[in-house]
Amino acid sequence: MDQLYLLATLADTRIAVDACEVEAVVRLTDISPVPGMGAHVAGLSALRSRVLTIIDVAALIHGRPTPPERRSLAIIANISGHSYGLMVDGVSDICRVPEGELPLRGQLGPAWTPYARALVEHEGHPWLLVSLAAFIEGGAVAQAA
Amino acid sequence: MVPMRASWGRLGMDELLQEFISETQETLEALAGEVVAWEADPSDRDRLDAIFRFFHTVKGSCGFLNLPRFERLSHAAEDVLSEIRAGNRSPDPATVSAVLGIMDRIGELAEAVAIGAALPNENDDFLIGALSAMPDEAVVETVGKVQAPVAVARQGGAQSGPRTIRLPLSLIDQLMNGVSDMVLARNELSRKLRERTADPELDNVFERLSTCVADMRDVISKTRMQRVDRLFAAIPRMVRDLGRELGKRIDLTLEGGDVEMDREMVEMVVDPLTHIVRNSIDHGIETPEKRRAAGKPEMGSLRVEARQSGNQIVIAIADDGAGIDTARLVEKSVLAGRLTPDAAARMGEQEKLDLIFQPGLSTANQVTAISGRGVGMDVVRANVERIGGVIALDNHPGQGLTITLRVPLTLTIIPGLIVRAGGQHFAIPRAAVVEILHDNNETLQISQVGGAQIATIRSVRHSMIDLEDVLGMEKPVQSGPRAIMVVRSATGVPFAMGVSAVDNHEELVIRPASPLVMATGVYAGMTLPDNGKPMLLLDAAGLANAARLPNIIDDRAARQREEAADAQTGVEMVAALRFEELSGEKRLLKLSLIERVEDVDARLFGRSGGRAFVRLDGRLVPVANGLCQFDRDKVSALRLKDDRREACYPVAAVLDIVQMPAVPDMVAMHGLLSGVAVIDGEHLEVVNPFALFAALPEESIVERAMGRCLLADAEDGWTREILAPLLRQAGHDVVLGLPVDAIVDPEDVVLCADAGAAQAAEIMGCRVVQLRASPRPVGPQDGSIYRYDQAALMAAIAGQRS
Repeated sequence: MDQLYLLATLADTRIAVDACEVEAVVRLTDISPVPGMGAHVAGLSALRSRVLTIIDVAALIHGRPTPPERRSLAIIANISGHSYGLMVDGVSDICRVPEGELPLRGQLGPAWTPYARALVEHEGHPWLLVSLAAFIEGGAVAQAA
Repeated sequence: MVPMRASWGRLGMDELLQEFISETQETLEALAGEVVAWEADPSDRDRLDAIFRFFHTVKGSCGFLNLPRFERLSHAAEDVLSEIRAGNRSPDPATVSAVLGIMDRIGELAEAVAIGAALPNENDDFLIGALSAMPDEAVVETVGKVQAPVAVARQGGAQSGPRTIRLPLSLIDQLMNGVSDMVLARNELSRKLRERTADPELDNVFERLSTCVADMRDVISKTRMQRVDRLFAAIPRMVRDLGRELGKRIDLTLEGGDVEMDREMVEMVVDPLTHIVRNSIDHGIETPEKRRAAGKPEMGSLRVEARQSGNQIVIAIADDGAGIDTARLVEKSVLAGRLTPDAAARMGEQEKLDLIFQPGLSTANQVTAISGRGVGMDVVRANVERIGGVIALDNHPGQGLTITLRVPLTLTIIPGLIVRAGGQHFAIPRAAVVEILHDNNETLQISQVGGAQIATIRSVRHSMIDLEDVLGMEKPVQSGPRAIMVVRSATGVPFAMGVSAVDNHEELVIRPASPLVMATGVYAGMTLPDNGKPMLLLDAAGLANAARLPNIIDDRAARQREEAADAQTGVEMVAALRFEELSGEKRLLKLSLIERVEDVDARLFGRSGGRAFVRLDGRLVPVANGLCQFDRDKVSALRLKDDRREACYPVAAVLDIVQMPAVPDMVAMHGLLSGVAVIDGEHLEVVNPFALFAALPEESIVERAMGRCLLADAEDGWTREILAPLLRQAGHDVVLGLPVDAIVDPEDVVLCADAGAAQAAEIMGCRVVQLRASPRPVGPQDGSIYRYDQAALMAAIAGQRS
């Protein structure tokens, strides 16, 4: 169970992402907005010759879009054949967690329930293990439809 | 057919199985047509052998892989076929049906194995029984029906494709992406190079790199191409089965299977094509009795033909059936409340015919199992137009119907217009835009009633939307006029759409957008232009839906009257660009000559040897109207192109696209002008494209410096692989082979190895450099040059030219 996790902060919450899901973390540059979409789609951004759909995950969680000046980093992931960039506030570490995934404890906020899978313990803090695919397939598509 | 691999021992059992399944499936697909063709001509030994080989190989491999059901089925089929091969049995329709049944079952089993499902547990004995049914039983069924129901003529003969290897699609996509990255990097490098002082050596190396990248992109795009054969593969079987079911006899001809088109495009065309063929058999071609009564041959003819025309693939489906009964169409749409009897009375034949594309209409009297199930021509047209295609009908009632599909060669590149709205750029397929006007145009009147906007253009009323409103964007205040585009969506009625401006006309490389973005319904994809900012492609039909525009045939009568009036005077109209010259006059230029419109940095213009030119994309392009001094930093320029030369035409402003008569209202040839046309009451001078190109310098500026080298021995490996690259590197423009039309410029130099060709080329009036393979000349008269003597070769080419 020596799984690699990417530890990040998102909407004032400590999250962990299975490193298998992560392709890269990039600093966001230009984002071309997609008019007609909800706030959770920040727009399109080019990464070399690929076009990423940038998801404002914070908007998905608490409904408020991140202001453009606070957009900094995005986790790049390939989800069912399309490239997405998921905006996060900061990335702290990529590390192995010897204990592996721990079951969820406590009452999780309803905004997080669709995306959280388990807990990961690192340096004495619990990190919420989320699935990137769930943000796209679960939340975002449902809101768009 | 299924190659056995010597390296099987090294593959795992799973891989082995997968290999077997995919090869079986592919062969099945290819064979379906062969079986039907063989039925039509049982003496065709090649086809029989091909089918026999298939079963034989399946039997062989599946014994090894332990697939007993495959083995049993293929064994039974093989037995029957070998009897036929030995001449002990004849391939009557019942036997063929049974063989087809076995092939279907093998296909089902393969499918099940591929997806890892349990094998469908149906009784194979029944199929095998049908196969071994005694010939005399079969005879009972075929009495009076001696001929096969379908005759297939496939041009190009039996299948024997070139040697191929199997590659995962993802690998090709990766290659494509890699090449795209390379192109982007090249563009950036080119920008950087332009910023610094010119270094000819560096420029040369960069040119070479550019050529390599461009070649590579071409080759990689070709890997996406597929023969249309794959599109045709399922047709013979379908025609045969339908024909038998409906008791119709059909002579099917497939042509042009070797035409190639984009793999994805093949996928997109399968459904519309299948639908049209089904329609044709179900509704078009009559029963033998009816055909006899109508004095036609009993066997109906169905012809499916593919050919390439420019950057389009044209697929024509022609039958000699009953055609479309337009009177019934009108009756039906009046009944359905889509058309007033009054409007119907004023409709022309073509307009009536177009009613078939209205949703929910069918001329079929009753719903049959084959077609007429509500999925109609509207869906076919929507599917074809979604991929940038066009569908056209040529109806001859009682004589037949020809449906022509024109689809772009590749799904990924379409001509598009770049529009600006709400401070952002969007792309829209060029095919969707009928007309572009400015909102201060006199023929246009925009009125508002109850919140709805109506644009009346030349007395035709269109629903009008503003793109910003549909997309929920802010409409910025703008000083100039807004552009109004008349947009024709795939399924609906044309509507008017307002945008800030129409900026550009470009070939766009379209890629799919993520499902999230597609879910909005107003976008059809996205594209990444050179500036690196992703741009969305608008979906015309989606916009109309999102704006909830009424979808009613409206007031077409007025337009029709206008068209009729035009037709009476016999005026042929062509699309033209209305623009303002830098000197202030408004003029027209035929749209088809304009490749695109772009803003060019005024500093790039210059003058050399009395001729104005502009540096574009690293080349010197002549300026058509000789201007090179401007009072502004950026100047709008029309990029023009005839079949081989290009030119740049700086203008003050691009106004709009209008219809102008092909022959100007007043012909007055003078300089660059061919006459005057009256558009919307305004007299406009028409630029004469002939004079325009004729006035350009003979060769483009770069070409004149170096000239062309014609390589006569285009088929020769040495010429292609060693000589041509050498000459290209030296900066020559290289043409492989002599031009077919024998138009040779006196500046051209012909290189060849053969003395006969040298003489022929001399007769054509151009200079010749003859090459020889041996270092020594044959005799004192031998004027040829040793082909590896680079110095002499270059000197000869240069000397010839001086």
